[in-house]
Formats: sequence, structure tokens, C-alpha cells
Amino acid sequence: MRRRNVLQWLAGFAASLRAWSQTTAFPGDQDVALRNLASLVLPSAEKPDRIVDRFVQYVRDYRPGADTEHGYGFTRVRPKPPSPAQGYIRQLAALPVPLTKAAIAAALEQSQIKDLPRIPEGKSVIADLMSFYFQSAEANDFCYGAAIQRDTCRGLEGSSRKPQPLKERV
Amino acid sequence: MQKFESDICVIGGGISAAMLTQKLAELRPGVSIHIVEAGRRLFDLENRMEYRRRSIAYGENAWPGDFIEDQAGKGVISRTMAVGGSAMHWGGTCNRFSEEDLRLKSIYGLYVDWPLEWRELEKYYCEAERRLGVSGEPSPLPEDARSEPYPMQAMELTYNLLELKKWGEKSGIPFWSTPQAKNTVAYGGRAKCIRCNTCAICPTGARYSPDFTFKQLLANKQVALHDQIQIRRLVMDEDSAKITTATGVNRSTGEAVEYRAPIFVLASGYAWSPHLLLLSRNSRFPNGLANGSGLVGKYMNGHEFISAFIELDSQIYPGMNETHALISRQYFRCKPSDTYIRHDLRIWESAVGHEPRLRAKDGKLLLGDDLLSDWRTRAQRGTARVRGYYDVHPDKNSSLTLDEAAKNKFGDPMPKIEHKLDAATVSRQPATRQHLQNVFTKLAKNNNGKILSTSEGGYLDHPAGGCRMGRNPSESVCDSFGQTHDHENLFVVGAPTLPNAGCTNGTLTFVALTLRSADRIAQMLPKHGL
Repeated sequence: MRRRNVLQWLAGFAASLRAWSQTTAFPGDQDVALRNLASLVLPSAEKPDRIVDRFVQYVRDYRPGADTEHGYGFTRVRPKPPSPAQGYIRQLAALPVPLTKAAIAAALEQSQIKDLPRIPEGKSVIADLMSFYFQSAEANDFCYGAAIQRDTCRGLEGSSRKPQPLKERV
Repeated sequence: MQKFESDICVIGGGISAAMLTQKLAELRPGVSIHIVEAGRRLFDLENRMEYRRRSIAYGENAWPGDFIEDQAGKGVISRTMAVGGSAMHWGGTCNRFSEEDLRLKSIYGLYVDWPLEWRELEKYYCEAERRLGVSGEPSPLPEDARSEPYPMQAMELTYNLLELKKWGEKSGIPFWSTPQAKNTVAYGGRAKCIRCNTCAICPTGARYSPDFTFKQLLANKQVALHDQIQIRRLVMDEDSAKITTATGVNRSTGEAVEYRAPIFVLASGYAWSPHLLLLSRNSRFPNGLANGSGLVGKYMNGHEFISAFIELDSQIYPGMNETHALISRQYFRCKPSDTYIRHDLRIWESAVGHEPRLRAKDGKLLLGDDLLSDWRTRAQRGTARVRGYYDVHPDKNSSLTLDEAAKNKFGDPMPKIEHKLDAATVSRQPATRQHLQNVFTKLAKNNNGKILSTSEGGYLDHPAGGCRMGRNPSESVCDSFGQTHDHENLFVVGAPTLPNAGCTNGTLTFVALTLRSADRIAQMLPKHGL
């Protein structure tokens, strides 16, 4: 019995180690697949490679088990699920080469993705990459062509005026 | 067992405790004050920018460690249990009630009157605003007259709010800046707001939170703050009915603890204050301390709310300052001859209806440039989030009870709150809902507006009650100072004492009442400590 517990613990530890190493090395050998995906699902004017670099860092910095917001009104205590890195790598490896919009549509269908999540939630690397960008303050500025800077501490002065136009990238 | 003794023992470490002890330390310098809080102290202002970042990016809890796993109750609207309490992550909104809230019986023949005068409360509103540091724009309505100006000028309305104000006022409803405990100039040793758009985790301290008060009190050695101490029972002297001891356990060490003091104050909010009284039974008070009336845990209250998202022809830039709102007090009062409907009315900027989306209306998948193009087209219209908090009155059996099916690790039953509205409130609910729908429709008539959705809250917001104040000991738990009718040295302060929760945010009222309690408690304290 004790030996079985030790073996179970070792198996669990090995799985955790594998998950951790895949998270820190994300996207492993799927870098090209991730960049191909980005070129189809992100705005062309936004230099998708730059966004991919930040998404990679985002995945690497993910903290499984961290407490999440416990809500107001209807509360719940729920830790962050395991790192999505392994799942992302598997999904990227399953994408066809060359990648097409039809294949992306099929993959989203398979993952039962109906809309963009508010933040990446680990179900689909496609939806999460898109969410990572399109739900960002940067994308918000790009959409509105204005330096709203939603997530930046900006000071109160001048807030009664329209945000400055984003001339350089529109 | 660890034993502590002081002039006053305050149980609970939230905003009421912060304000109470700050004032007591001023009025009675030298008295010894113990503040005992079940949760941890989160005094790491220096980490809050990073907590904020991870909250935005990953949805992580912006206040890590601010809850106790086994200390939760059904119907309790926040899990937060830490030094500072819910006011660590509140939005800072500091609306006043209005005189009508205190005069329901005498003006409208409804529910009950409060045992204090509006003019008396108004004085303490001013003090609460000074201590919290409220920035606000005075209401122009004569009924909302103030005896002192706001301590700070109102926060500048963003471009979005100016657009929404123009739109809202086309309906003949005046709107102005919502008063907030947010610094528009450096104030109270805290920084000026730099518009981070995340007031629930203010990374600079510009939005008031009780940790600043506690840190000042501790730095000046004016209080002793014991966190992670779970008080489980109050013990009463059988002859005098005075409370002698608070007993509990240190959650971090498991060691039993005991506090002795001539005066005890429950400052644990609407859920945990009545909960502790119900737990503290004895032969003379078999239904819980302070419960001679049987009303501890009764008349639990709050207000209902209805929200709408209204799309309109206005250029709104989502994210300029989503936590600041417009308020109208137009509907804070109604004629006694009319159907009783009272509510506030708030407008926030919103992105609803104009967020990026994966599928077009016809179901077509949108990727890359197509998605951006679709988003830009829809972003040409703006959205207002509109909400009315409306006044409802509790039934006596709107209750907090001990839930024998849910116990913490010490075996104590947890609270279970089941709100119930009184018959008069229930009978006018359809008219109230229709009225608010009519207000939303009226607003939507301008700027080619379209109501995208309406929804009801499904819970009572800004909850209070459970130890309601009153003059008659058979109809209330405490007097208007929070002094319990059954135990002369036991006070309940803040939210639990409210008979009803008005029709707007309650925190400023909780604080004002607490500051008034402090005056009474100070009179009972020795002038130079023990």
C-alpha cells in the first residue's frame, strides 16, 4: 500500500514536471504553427509575430492553482486550472499545413468555441490567441483609433477630452 | 491559552472598525484598544500594481489570501475576510441616503422609522466624508442640502461621461458625478488618483481602504491589531448581563485565545455580527446574546436593482474610466400620495454590444482583419450601462440563521441568509419594475437609443440588517448608537444596525452611524486609559 502511494506520488510528480517544462518551453516545436495561426487570426496591420511573442510569454508566466476572483453577489472560490501549454501544443500539432481558414473553423467547432473568451481559458489555442489580442487594451485602442489606454494608469488630467488619435498605426 | 485585556475590544477589522478606532483613539488618547479580525492583514501596497496586472491578464484574485476557505455562508455576497474587509476592494462610492429612508413610517405609513433625526445623521455624513476623503459634486436638489462642502472637488467627468450626461439629461433627468472615496488631490496621506480604471484593486491608495487607517493607528501605537483570530463566542456575566470575554482561536497556531474588556464592539458586518451573537447562547439568552427581542438575524435587508444596457448614437471610448459613474437623485423621493417608488439612477460607460466577436450576426466566422472590420463598424455606436437600485423593505423573517448543515473547521455552524421582502414591498414590485422599464425607455428615446437588454440582480445588494436599531427593545436589537438593549457594554456598529438599506450604496451610511456610535462609546471609556 505504501509502495503504491509512493509510485502514485512519483507519477504525479513526473506529470507535473512535464507540464511545467512544457509551459516554460512553450510553444516547443510548434513555434511555426503558432505563427502561421497568428497570421490568419490576428489583424495583418498589427504585426502578428509581435503579438505571438507576447502570447508565448503570457503562457509561460501562467500560474496554475492561483486563486481567481471569488466574485460578488454569487461567490465561488476556484483556483486557476493547470497550465494550458500542453493542450495548446497538442492542438497546434493537429493543425494542417498549410493552414486554412476552413481548418481553423473546424478546429473551433471541435473545441465548441462560440465566442471569444474574456481572457484565455485554455480550451482552444485559436480562441485564446485571438482573445489575448482582441480583448487587450491595445486592440481596444486600435479598434477605436484612439489612445484610450484602458489598462494604463493615466492620470485624471485631460480625461474630459476625447482620447488622442492613434495616428501611427491606423 | 493566550489572554488579552484592554479598555475596549473590537471584533471585526473592516471599515467600521477602522473608523471607530481612529475616532476613539482621538477622543480618548491612551485607551487600550484591541481589534480582532479572523482574516489576514494585507498591507502590501507595494505589490498591488502587480496584483492588478495579473488580475487583468489572468483573472487571478487581486487580493490573494483575502478569504478563509471554511468560513463562508449561504447568501453572503462576498467571500472577503481580511483586515479591511470588503472595503479593501469596494468601488469607493459614497452616496448619502435621504431623509425619506429614515421616515418611512411617518411619511409613507410603511415599515418603520429610524430612531434618529436626519439632521443628526447629516452631521456624521460630513465627518465620514472627511475621514474617508470623499470627492463629490453637491446635488442641486434642495432636499439634499449639505451642512459642509465635500472635502475634495469631484472627479472630472471623462469624455464618455460628459457624452452620457448630455444624452441622459435630454430626458429631463439631471445627472451629476457620483461621490467617491477617491482622491482628486493628495489627501489623508494617500496619493491622488491616476485613473487606473481598476478601483477594486487600487494600486496607489488613491481610493480609500481601511488598511491605511490601520497602518497609521499601528504606527502611532494607538491600537493592537490581532489578525487571524477567530472569535467564536462572547461570554456574559449571568448576574449583570455584561459581556466579560470574547473567546476564540488563533487560526495560524490553533491556540485558544481570550479577550477581556469593559466594552465590546461588534464591527463584523451584516453577516458575521449577528452570526456571532447567535452562536453565543447561554441559559439566560438561549437564542443568542442581545436577542431578548428575538430579532438578532431578522430584518436582513438590502436593495433590489434593475440594469439595462442601452445602445446609442454617441462616440463612447470604452475604458476611459469604467468605475466612475453618473448619478441622479431625481427619484430618491416620491409624494406620499403616489405609489411608493424610490430609486437611484446610475449611468456608466460600457462596451457591451461593441466588443470584438468571433461570429457575425449571420453566424459567419470572423478572423483577423474581418473581425477588426466588424468590430470597428459596431464601435461607431456607444453603450450606456444604466442601473437603478430601488428601495425594498424586509419582512421580519428576512433572516440570518445558523446553518447546521455547513460548519467551519471548529464545528461552528455557518450563517445562512434568506432575504424576504415585506408584503407591501411585494405588492408594489410590478409597479416598481414597470417604472424602471419606463425610465430606461425614456432614456432610450434620445440619440436613436436601443435597449439591448435588461436584467434584475437576483440578490439584495449593499446588504445590511440583522441587529436593527430602534427605540423599543421589543422591536429592535440596539439603540441608534448601536448599544444593545440587553447588554449595556455591548455595541454593534455599522451595517447590521440599519433597519432598511435605502436605495443607494450603504457604506457611507454605515460609517456615519459608526462615527456616531464612537461618540457614545467614548463617553463610557476612561479618560486616560486603564
